Amino acid sequence: MNIKIKKGLDIRISGTAVKAVSEMTNCTEFAVKPTDFVGVVPRLLVKEGDAVKAGDALFVDKSNADAIFVSPVDGTVKSILRGEKRKLLAVVVEGNADTEPKPLFNPSLLAQMHRDAIIDTMVSSGLWTLLKQRPFGIVPHRDDKPKAVFISAFDSSPLPVDYYFILNKEDFVKGIEILHLLAGKVHLSLKDGAEPSFLDNLPNAETHHFSGPHPAGLVGTQIAKIDPINKGDTVWVINPQDVSIIGHLFRTGCYRPERIIALCGPVVEKPQYYKTLSGSSIASFSSAVNKECSKPRFISGDVLSGTAISADGFISASTDKVCVLPEGDYYNFMGWLRPNFRKFSFSRTFLSGILAKFNIHGSKFDFDTSRHGDKRPLFVTGEFEKLVPLDIYPMQLIKACIVGDIELMENLGIYEVEPEDLALCEFADTSKTEIQAIIRNALEKIRVEA
Amino acid sequence: MFLRNFFDKIKPNFSEGGRFAKLSSTFEAFESFAFTPNTVTGGRVGASYKGCHIRDAVDLKRTIITVVIALLPALLFGMWNIGHQTAMAYGLDWTFLYKWWFGFLRMLPIIVVSYVVGLGIEFLFAEIRHEQVSEGFIGTGLIISMIVPVTVPLWQLALAVAFAVVIGKEVFGGSGYNFLNPALVARAFLFFSYPSHMSGDNVWIAQPFHFAGDAVTGATPLALLTEGSSLNSHFSVLNMLVGTIPGSIGETSVVAILLGALLLLVTGIASWRIMLSVILGGGLMGLLFNAIGTNEYMQLPFYYHYLMGGFMFGCVFMATDPVTAAQTNAGKWIYGFLIGAFAVMLRVLNPAYPEGMMLAILLMNCFAPLIDHCVVAANIRKRKARWHLEVSK
Repeated sequence: MNIKIKKGLDIRISGTAVKAVSEMTNCTEFAVKPTDFVGVVPRLLVKEGDAVKAGDALFVDKSNADAIFVSPVDGTVKSILRGEKRKLLAVVVEGNADTEPKPLFNPSLLAQMHRDAIIDTMVSSGLWTLLKQRPFGIVPHRDDKPKAVFISAFDSSPLPVDYYFILNKEDFVKGIEILHLLAGKVHLSLKDGAEPSFLDNLPNAETHHFSGPHPAGLVGTQIAKIDPINKGDTVWVINPQDVSIIGHLFRTGCYRPERIIALCGPVVEKPQYYKTLSGSSIASFSSAVNKECSKPRFISGDVLSGTAISADGFISASTDKVCVLPEGDYYNFMGWLRPNFRKFSFSRTFLSGILAKFNIHGSKFDFDTSRHGDKRPLFVTGEFEKLVPLDIYPMQLIKACIVGDIELMENLGIYEVEPEDLALCEFADTSKTEIQAIIRNALEKIRVEA
Repeated sequence: MFLRNFFDKIKPNFSEGGRFAKLSSTFEAFESFAFTPNTVTGGRVGASYKGCHIRDAVDLKRTIITVVIALLPALLFGMWNIGHQTAMAYGLDWTFLYKWWFGFLRMLPIIVVSYVVGLGIEFLFAEIRHEQVSEGFIGTGLIISMIVPVTVPLWQLALAVAFAVVIGKEVFGGSGYNFLNPALVARAFLFFSYPSHMSGDNVWIAQPFHFAGDAVTGATPLALLTEGSSLNSHFSVLNMLVGTIPGSIGETSVVAILLGALLLLVTGIASWRIMLSVILGGGLMGLLFNAIGTNEYMQLPFYYHYLMGGFMFGCVFMATDPVTAAQTNAGKWIYGFLIGAFAVMLRVLNPAYPEGMMLAILLMNCFAPLIDHCVVAANIRKRKARWHLEVSK
C-alpha cells in the first residue's frame, strides 16, 4: 500500500551522518536506565561489585514482572546511580564489549518452541522490554493480545538514520519471524521510492510504503493510516534495531544488544555511524565533537523528542542516534525585529526561508538549543493543523490534556498519539509550550486512573 | 556590549530578594524587548530534559511586531488623511508633508494615551500575578488608536482602553484567554457610552490648531447612506478605495489596508480563510440585498461595502485575531462568512448602527467557541463510530 503524507515539516538541520561505520573501541561502561521506560518502578536485583553476564537481570519492574532489565555485557556492576529521594537512575556495568557472550539457549530448538516458550525466553533475556505498547508507551504484559506489531523501517526525523544501511539482514528477518509468531500480524513501513533492499519482500510482514515529510516515518503516523487505534485496542511497536537484537538471540542463542548509532548534528566534526552496544557511554562519543563548541548538548534520540544526556551519562534504550547541538544560551539583540537570515522558522516571518530556498547561505541550518523567546499562553491558531497528519484536532487535544478532562481526551484521540507524534507542534509553537510533556502527563494520568 | 552589560548589572536588583523585586515583570519586559532571552530548551543548560531540543525562531513578539508592521501603511495614510480632511473642509492650502505632520500631531496623543493606559494596566496585572508581560497589547493598542475618530476626547479613550483591558481581557486571565477582541471592546465601549463623540457628522474632521470659528462637519459614506443622501455626489469609488474620505483614522484607505493584508498573508500570521470568507460573506449578503432591492441602500453595488467604513480594516486586522476567532479551519470559514454577512446586514437594515462591522465581529467572537465545538464534535462522532465498528466486527 502506498500512502502519501501531506502535512508535516522537514527541518533542514546540518550534520546528517554519512554512510560509514566505525567500531567504537574505547567504550567500557554501559548503563541500563529505568527512566528510559514509561511507568517502570524498578526493584534492584544486583549490588555494586557483582559479576554479571550479558543477559543477566539487573532490575525488574515492580508492577510488571515481565519487564526484566538485563546487562548488555559480561562484566561487573560498577555503580548504581540514584537521584532525588534515592530514585534509581541507572545501573552501570563495566565490561568488555568485544567478547561475544555465551549462548543462553540452543537456537536449533527454536522450531519446537511454542509461543509461550518464546515469550519465556524473551522475558528472561530482557528482550521483552524492547517491545512498547500503544497507547501509553509502556512495556507490555505477556498476556496482552495486541492487534498487530508496527515497525517503521525508515527515519524521517531531523538528521535521519538510514536503516537500509545499518540493519543486519539475517537478524532482522529472524526478528520479524519471531514477532509474527507473537502477535500474528506485523506491519512494516518503508520509505516510498527508496532503493530496493531485503526489506521489500519479507515473508512474515505486511509492507506499506510512505512518502512525504516528517512525521511520515513516525510509527504513530503509520498506525493512524494503516489501522488506527481505538479505545480498548493495544498494539505493539518496536525499533528496527531492536528487532535485529531479538532476531540475533533466536538465530544464535546469544544476547548481544549490538547497535549502530549515528553521531550527528551541527557541531560534530565527521557525522557518521558507530558500532557499539545498547547503553554505551556518551564519553566515548565526545572526542568527535568540534573543539570550538564549548557547551555541547548530547541528545540520545532525535532533536525533536530525544533525551538530553550529560557528558558523563549514557545513551538511552532503543536509540539509533546521538545528536549534538551547541547550547543556545546567548542573548539576541532585538531578536524579534531583526530579519534573522540564519534562523529557521516554519512561520514565514523570517527572511531565512526565502534565502534557503535559493540556497544563498546553503540550504541547511546550524541549529542550537535556544528557545528563541518566552513562554506564553497558547495564542496563534492554525500552526499545529499544518504539522499533524493524524485525523485529530491537535490544539483541542492539547487543551484537553492541560485541563485533564479524560473523557474529552479520549474523544479527541489521545490513544492515537505518543508525545513524539506532536513533537513538531512543540517545535513550531509560537508560545513555546512544552507539548510533549503535557501529552505524556495526560497519558500517565489516564493509565494510572484506569 | 554596553546595553547588555547595563541589564546584567541592574538585573540582581529586580530578582528575588532584590530591592525592586516587585518590579521583576517590568524589568523582564524591558530586558526581553531589548534582547531575545538566553533561555534554552529544557529550561537551563544541563537540566534533565526530554522533548524538543530545537525550537522555531518565531515567538509571540515576532508575531505581534509583524502585525504592527502590517498596520503601518494604514496608520501613515491615516495620519495624512487627517490633515487632508481638515485642509479640504476648511479650505486650507496645505502641502502633502504638512497634512501628514498635522495628522501626526493629532494622532500622537491618541496613540500615547492608548499605549500608556493599556500597557500600564498590563504591567500592573503582570506584577500582581508574577507573570511576564504579554506583548498582545502592542498590537491591540495601536489598533484601538486607529479605529476611533480623530476628535475622540482623550479621557474617554483612556476609560475605554482601561475597560477593554480589564474587562475584555485581564479578568479572563490576560492575552490568550480573552474571548472578545479587546480593541473592539474599547470601541464598543466608546460607541455605546459616548455616541455623540463616536458617530454623526461632527467627529471626523479635526480642527486646525488655533482655530476659533465654527467647526466644519463632514459625513462618512455610511452616514450619508443612512440619512438617505446620495453617495455618489460626495465620493467616487476611487476616493473610497484610496481613502481620501472622512472616517476612523486607520479605516479609510482600502489600498493601505490591503498592503498590510498582503504582509499578513505572505508571513502566514493571519488566516487567509477568515479574510476570504469575510469578503465572501459580505459580498453575498450585498448581492442578496441587490436582488431584493426595495430601497436605495439595498441597491448599492455589493463591492461598495468593501470600500466603506471599517469593513476591510475589521476583515484584515480584527476578524483574524487568532485568540478570539474560531480555531479550527472549518470553523474559520463559517466564522468569517457570518461576520461578513452580518456586517452588511446590520449596515443596511439597522439605521441606528451605521457601522455593522464592529458588532458583527463581537457577535461572532461570542459564537466562535460554539462553531469550534460543532466542528470538533464531527471529529468525535467519526472516532466513536470507528470504535463501535471495531467492537461489532
